[in-house]
Amino acid sequence: MASLASEDGRAQRPSDHEGFLVHKRFRWLKVALALSIVAGIGYAFADVSPRPNGGTWYGYALGTLGVLLIVWLSLLGIRKRAMTEGRWSLKAWTSAHVYLGLSLVVIGTLHTGFQLGWNVHTLAWALMILVIVSGIYGVVVYATLPEKLSTNRGDMSKKEMIEALGAIDRQLESAAQPLPREESDLVIAALEQDAFRAGVLARLTGRYPGCRTERARAAFAADRDRDEHEERVFGLLQRRCAQLGQIRRQMRLRALLDIWLYVHVPATVALLGALTAHVISVFYYW
Amino acid sequence: MSFRIRQIQTTATGREIVREREVTGDRLTIGRSAENDVAIPDLAVEQHHVVVSRGEGRALAFEAAGTLGFTLDGRTRTSETVRDGGAELVLGAFRLDFAAGPGEEIEVTVRRMEERESGAGAGTHGFRLTSTWLPGKRPVAWALLIAIFLAFLAVPIWTNLGREPVKPDYRKPGQTAMDASWSTGKLSLAHHGLEDNCEACHVQPFVAVRDGACLTCHEDIGDHSAKPRLSLARGPLSWGDQVQRDIADVFHKPGAGACTDCHTEHEGEGRMQPPAQKFCADCHGSMDKRLKTPLGNAADFGKAHPQFQAAVLTGQGDRTPTRVSLDGNPREFNGLKFPHELHLSASGGVAQMARRLGAGKGYGETLECSDCHRPTADGVRFQPVDMETNCGSCHSLVYDRVGGTFRTLRHGDISQMRADLAAADRVPRRPIASGRKRPGAYSPGGLYYGNFAPPQRASVPLASRMLSTRGVCTECHFPSGDGVMPVVQPKRYIEHGWFDHEAHKREKCTTCHAAPASDSATDVLLPGIKTCRTCHLGESAAKPKIPSTCAMCHSYHPRGDAAPARVGKDADERKSQT
Repeated sequence: MASLASEDGRAQRPSDHEGFLVHKRFRWLKVALALSIVAGIGYAFADVSPRPNGGTWYGYALGTLGVLLIVWLSLLGIRKRAMTEGRWSLKAWTSAHVYLGLSLVVIGTLHTGFQLGWNVHTLAWALMILVIVSGIYGVVVYATLPEKLSTNRGDMSKKEMIEALGAIDRQLESAAQPLPREESDLVIAALEQDAFRAGVLARLTGRYPGCRTERARAAFAADRDRDEHEERVFGLLQRRCAQLGQIRRQMRLRALLDIWLYVHVPATVALLGALTAHVISVFYYW
Repeated sequence: MSFRIRQIQTTATGREIVREREVTGDRLTIGRSAENDVAIPDLAVEQHHVVVSRGEGRALAFEAAGTLGFTLDGRTRTSETVRDGGAELVLGAFRLDFAAGPGEEIEVTVRRMEERESGAGAGTHGFRLTSTWLPGKRPVAWALLIAIFLAFLAVPIWTNLGREPVKPDYRKPGQTAMDASWSTGKLSLAHHGLEDNCEACHVQPFVAVRDGACLTCHEDIGDHSAKPRLSLARGPLSWGDQVQRDIADVFHKPGAGACTDCHTEHEGEGRMQPPAQKFCADCHGSMDKRLKTPLGNAADFGKAHPQFQAAVLTGQGDRTPTRVSLDGNPREFNGLKFPHELHLSASGGVAQMARRLGAGKGYGETLECSDCHRPTADGVRFQPVDMETNCGSCHSLVYDRVGGTFRTLRHGDISQMRADLAAADRVPRRPIASGRKRPGAYSPGGLYYGNFAPPQRASVPLASRMLSTRGVCTECHFPSGDGVMPVVQPKRYIEHGWFDHEAHKREKCTTCHAAPASDSATDVLLPGIKTCRTCHLGESAAKPKIPSTCAMCHSYHPRGDAAPARVGKDADERKSQT
């Protein structure tokens, strides 16, 4: 019996890692869902005239709730710089950030009463949607890409990747010494091209049509009768291509993981600005 | 098989000293110990660290001699084989470059590394997007923030505060720049001219629109009732409304009875939405509790609305109408003897007469309501029935014929009629309608002619006989004094409610007016509220019933004889008809 109990005890031990999405058995998902449903029911039954919008009592209520949520959600940027544990751990905070952020789609849109137009009010709404959509992308890539990143890296660190490329380059340099002018130029061109001088588009797509290493490799491959030196250089170019491939896959995954923040963060700040303008303008012209 | 070892040292002045030697055999040992073929003076390196052995051709096998690994071509390994003799081994601060030399020789160059020496030179931040042209998050955020504050706050507020104080004029655009971005929606059709002139209504910053702003243009708008009476009529607020009111008061929102309570703007193009019936019901729903008033309580047309009160002339000779509920089955005296039942009957003399007059004169098989009742130009009401045009085609007042011309009594002017009759010559003449003539010897002048007709009376009757109880006038009128009682045809029975016949023209008259069953002119043929409710119910009515707010029939601001300033869809319809 005792051994059974201890087995049970081990089986029930919480796992070491629990992602922010499933934190506390989806506590914040439930809170956000409840919030959205209550807002929806209120919208359907609130006695407002002549029709629902931000200027009715229910509209003001939803608007106040929305502003508080937006300000709190944007504070994650400050909060994440201090890691703590427990009930108000960063993980709990992130979990709440994601789910309450999603509930803003319902709260913010009901606040508009579906009256959208070309004005600063709709600008705030549109920025909010942009922030949320980019956030959804962020959650998706954070859930899927780190595993790929780890697979691609294998047992190498980023530093090792760079050093491996450096080692190949130095060997290429010395191996290419006996080569004639034209072939040397191909090798120089390949060596001079910085692997990290890649644009955003190239990084995101993983396509490098201007890769000179690939061009040199193709030129050597086309040479049917390679002598001993050319064979060595060809081998090194192939290794360089493979090493570049790994680095570029790493850069692509990294870029896919990072790019959304370039939308999410500035759009959040712009949203706070538009929200301020929205609130002030509404009461300025009350 | 041999290894050519080239050891390079750099002096303090930067000069390179190269020492070359040869190690024969197919095995090369590397480590800190001096026993090794290549001794590396670095504490991070083990005494015996790596053994390199030659394989087939130029293949080299690197094997860790101790427990620590080594870095070969940038990767940390404990065992590795290279095929072409080219490799780069890093041990501690030293780098050993292996390269295939002439013949079977392998050249090994040993040198101390620079502080940092790697492919891209710098660290690993090149993997991140920060190393691209992509502008940083902070600068973009700041730029957006400043742009938004400038365009949507600074410019409108600056120009608004600095504007010249002028009387609002809807024909001119306002002075505030870029405040169109603040508009929450298009203005209604009536206020469309103010679209570019926000400060016409939004006079003071952070002060909700006041009645004064509306009254600048709507100066003649009448009050529903005197202010104290209005306040008295307003019922106690519900809990929710009271909370709203209290909050609104905190922010100095204009209170109960303000224009903006009922009239909301920026709800989109088109006509203004009619105020909800709640605004009326707040007072009228239970007004008898707070106010002495002849008006019944009304909160919803379908559920809580009193029976209509019609303005009816209840007594003979009355000139001013009395308001009586239709529930009391009121009798009206308008001075006519006119049974609708008789005239609308499908059989009998009237129908026969209509048939005889025929379609050429506009009659059908029977007499129709529209044969006598003609709508007014706007279609809202009906013109008074006119004796000459509506009754005269059957009820002839012809009294004499001279040659081919008929003489008709002057209707509506008794003294004129008397004069006409008194002046008529009374020479016996051929009757207007002669008996049938018989043919041959039975005809006048024939052998067997005989006149069995009643003896001819004087051809023109006397006025006194016409006005007597069995005279032609009293067929329709009541005798009174030396004439008849005047006929009164009220224009409007319901003075404070609006009914538009035009909007109901697809219905038959008899759907609402029980004329075919009315055998007396004293019947008030107005339909009661029950009849209206077959189609019209309160604001919340569901299809197929018609949701009818108070504003459909009533006007808050007194409008006299004019139609209520109804707003919304039905007003559009009415506009297009007139």
